[in-house]
Amino acid sequence: MEIHHYIPELGNLALTFAFGFALALSIVPFWGVRKNNHPIMELAPNLVVGQFIMTAISFGCLVYAFATDDFSVINVAQNSTSLLPFEYKIAASWGSHEGSILLWLLMQSCWNIGFAVFSKQLPKDTRTLVLVVLGWISVGFYAYVIIASNPFERTLPYFPVDGRDLNPLLQDPGMIFHPPMLYLGYVGMSVPFSFAIAALILGRLDTSWAKWSRPWTLLGISCLTMGITLGSWWAYSELGWGGWWFWDPSENAAFMPWLVAVALFHSLIATEKRGVFVSWTLFLAIAAFSFSLLGTFLVRSGVIVSVHAFANDPERGIFILGLLAFVIGGSLTLYAMRITHVQKDRTQYAAISRETTLLMNNMLFIAATIVVLIGTLFPMLHKQAGLGAISVGQPFFDQVFSWLLIPFSFVLGVAPMMRWKQDNLNRLFKSNIYVFVVSLILGLAWVLGQFGQWNFTAIVSASLGCWITLISLRELFKTAQKLGWAKIPKAHWGMIIGHIGFAVTLAGGGMATQFTDERAVKMHIGDKVELSGYTFHLKDIEATYDSNYEGHGARIEVLKGNQPVGSILSEKRFYTVQKTVMTEAGVDVGFTRDLYVSLGTQFDDGSWGVRLYVKHYVRWLWAGGILIAIGLIIAIADKRYRRKTGKLQERAA
Amino acid sequence: MTQLHTPNKQEKSLIIRFLPVIFFACIVVVFYFALFADPFERPSELEGRPLPEFQLPDLYTDGVSYSRDSLLGEPFLLNVWGVWCVTCRYELPYLTQLKNEQGVKIVGLYYDQEHDPEFGIYADVPKIREDVVNMLSQFGNPYHINILDLDRDLLLDLAVTGAPETYVIDADGKILLHHLGEVNERVWNEKIAPIWNQL
Repeated sequence: MEIHHYIPELGNLALTFAFGFALALSIVPFWGVRKNNHPIMELAPNLVVGQFIMTAISFGCLVYAFATDDFSVINVAQNSTSLLPFEYKIAASWGSHEGSILLWLLMQSCWNIGFAVFSKQLPKDTRTLVLVVLGWISVGFYAYVIIASNPFERTLPYFPVDGRDLNPLLQDPGMIFHPPMLYLGYVGMSVPFSFAIAALILGRLDTSWAKWSRPWTLLGISCLTMGITLGSWWAYSELGWGGWWFWDPSENAAFMPWLVAVALFHSLIATEKRGVFVSWTLFLAIAAFSFSLLGTFLVRSGVIVSVHAFANDPERGIFILGLLAFVIGGSLTLYAMRITHVQKDRTQYAAISRETTLLMNNMLFIAATIVVLIGTLFPMLHKQAGLGAISVGQPFFDQVFSWLLIPFSFVLGVAPMMRWKQDNLNRLFKSNIYVFVVSLILGLAWVLGQFGQWNFTAIVSASLGCWITLISLRELFKTAQKLGWAKIPKAHWGMIIGHIGFAVTLAGGGMATQFTDERAVKMHIGDKVELSGYTFHLKDIEATYDSNYEGHGARIEVLKGNQPVGSILSEKRFYTVQKTVMTEAGVDVGFTRDLYVSLGTQFDDGSWGVRLYVKHYVRWLWAGGILIAIGLIIAIADKRYRRKTGKLQERAA
Repeated sequence: MTQLHTPNKQEKSLIIRFLPVIFFACIVVVFYFALFADPFERPSELEGRPLPEFQLPDLYTDGVSYSRDSLLGEPFLLNVWGVWCVTCRYELPYLTQLKNEQGVKIVGLYYDQEHDPEFGIYADVPKIREDVVNMLSQFGNPYHINILDLDRDLLLDLAVTGAPETYVIDADGKILLHHLGEVNERVWNEKIAPIWNQL
C-alpha cells in the first residue's frame, strides 16, 4: 500500500497531537504563571505553534481526502461525489458537521498563533495567561472532535464507489467563504474573552486589558460582519425567492454574538479612554464569546433546527452542552466571584456626555440581543412547557427591531460629535437641528420622489440614513480642518466609514422591505411581461449542465422603454446524485434596484412558471455590511495601538 | 414579632453578580431536555377548537353540498386524502376495517393538488371522480361521505400540511385530535382509540 492511502490516519494522528499541544498549553504555562517561572511561561507560544501546525496538517488531510475523492472516509462519502466541481469539493470539507468543527479548530489555532505573534509587548504573565485560557477553550473542542465527531472515520472494509454529493444548497460561491468567515468571527471573540478571564484571574482589573483587547475585538467583529453579510447574500441568490434575512435560528445564532460584540467594542472605547464601565465591559467580553458558543450549540446540536436533529445521536448534543456549561458557566461564576475587586469608575460623567450615549448604545444593543434570544428560544421553551409548538417569525422581529432602530439611529448620529465628560444640550440642539430637518426633507424627497408613496417605514429609514451620513461627513470635514486630511487618525476614519456603512444598510433595508414589486406569471418563449417600468422578454429556454447537475435556464432580456437593460439567466437545476431540484435565481444587479428572476416548472402547454421581482436598493444592505467590515479593519491600523505598544516596550525594557 | 429580612447592599450585589450564572443555568436545563425532545412532534394548534365553518360540494354529485352543521350530531373522523397520495393507499384498507368492524363514521375530505386557477389550471372533476371510484374499489371505501375542497378553503382552515391527515371530531363539532400521517393499527390503539372510546 502506498503512503497516500494513509492520509486520513495521518490527519487523525495530527489531530491527536494538536489535542496534546492544547492540553499541555492549558496546564504547563498556567503552572508557570502561578510559580512566576519565566522559562516555563515562555513555553506557551511554542505550544501554540505546535497546536497550529498539527491542526493545519489535520485540516489539510481532510481537504486532501475530499480533493482526491476518498470515499472510504464516511465524511467524504456523505458530503461529496466524484462529479462535484473541484472548488466545491474543497468547500465540502467544511460542509458537514464534523468538518465544520475541525474548521472551527483551525480558526481557533489561527487566532491563537496570531495572538502569540503580536502580543510580545504585553506583560509576560498576562500574555501567557491569555494563551492558557485560549488553550482551555481549544482542549474541549479537540476532545469533542476526536471523541464524538471525528471527520476521519472510515467506511472500511466496504466503502461506496461514489459519494452522496454535497447538499446542492451549499454549492454556491457564497458558501465557500461564508462559513470560514463566520467561524473566524465567532472564534475571534475568544481573544477578548481570554483577556477578560486573564484579568479576572490575575485580579488586575484596571483598564489596560481594555486597550490591549481592542484591536482583537475589532478584527473579530470585522470577520463576523463579513460572515453574516456573505450568509445573507447567499440566502438571497440561492433560496430562490429574493429574501435576504429570515430570522431563522441559524441566522439569529450569528446575529446575537455580533450584537454583543459591537456593544463590547463601543464599551471598550469608554473603558479605555475614560476608565468607566469596567465591570460591564468585562461582562460583555465574556458574553460575546458565550453567545458565539451558544450560537454554535444551537445550530450544531439540533435542539432548534429539526432537520439537523441528533434524535438518534444525542451524545454530540450532550457533549457540546457540557462544554458550553463548563466554559460559560465557569467564566460567569469566576466573574461573579472576582468582580468585587474591580476598580471603581475613575471619572465622573454628566447625563449629557459621550459616556451616556455609549451607555445608550450598549443598552439598545443588549435589548436587541435579548429580543433575538427570546425570539429564538421561546418556541423551544413553549414546547418544553407542554404548551405546543409555535414559531416566532418575521413579524415579531421586524416590529420590535423597527422600534429599537429609531432611537438607536438617532443617537448614533449625535454620539460621535459629543464631548466626553459633559456636553451642552443647547449646543447640540443648535448645531444639529438644521441637519435633522435637512435629513427629514431628504428622506421625504427620496421616498416620495422615487416611489410616490407615503410609506412611514421607508421615509423614517431613509431620513435616519441621511441623518447619520450627513453628521458623519460633517464630523470628518471638521476633523480634517482641525488636523489636516493626512493626520486624521485611522480609528476616526474607521468610525466614519463604519457608521456610514450602517446608514447605507439602514436605508437599503428600509427600502428593500417596503418596495418590492413582484409578479408570478406563465410565460411562453417570446412572451413579454411588464413590471414597474421594465419589460421582461423570455427569449429562450436553454439546456444548462455541469458535471453533477442538468437543468434548464430561462434567458430573459430586460428592456426599459426600448433600451436593453440586461440579460438574465435563471435556472432550474436537477442534481443527479442527490435527486434534488434547485432554483438558481438569475439577477441583474443594479445600484438602486435588482431585477430578480426565479424560474418555476414547465406546464403541460409548454409554458413556464416564472416569478419576476424588482427589488429596490437591495444591494445597499450588503454594501453597508462591507463598509462596516472595512471600517473596522481600518480602525485596527490606527497608529495609537502601535504607539502605545511602543511605549509599553520601553517600559518593559 | 418576626422581623422581615431586607437584603442589605452586599447581599443585593451578590444576587446581581450571580444573576447571569443563574440565568445561564436555567438555559442549560432547558437545552438538556430539548436535546431529547422529538423534533418532529408538532402538536396541532387546532385541538380543542371547533371545526371551522364551511360550505363545500359533494365529491360525486353536483348540486349536493355540506356544511359544518350538516355533519354534526355524532362523533366522526375527518380524513384528508387524495388519489395521488401513496400512503393513503396503505391507510384505506385499515380505515375500511374500522368502519366495518367498529362502526366508525369517517368523512373524506378530498385534496386535489392540480387545481390552480391563478395559473389557469382547472381540476378535471369527472376525471377525479373516475380515479376515486377506481381507487376505492381497489383498496376499500371507508367513507360515509366525501367532500371536495378544490379551492382548499377548509384544508387551509384545518392547517393541513399534506395527506393523509385525520381529525377526531366530537358530536358538538369540537376537534379533539389532529393526526399527521397514516392511521394504522398502532396509531389507532395508542393515539386515537383512547379518545374515540370516550365519546
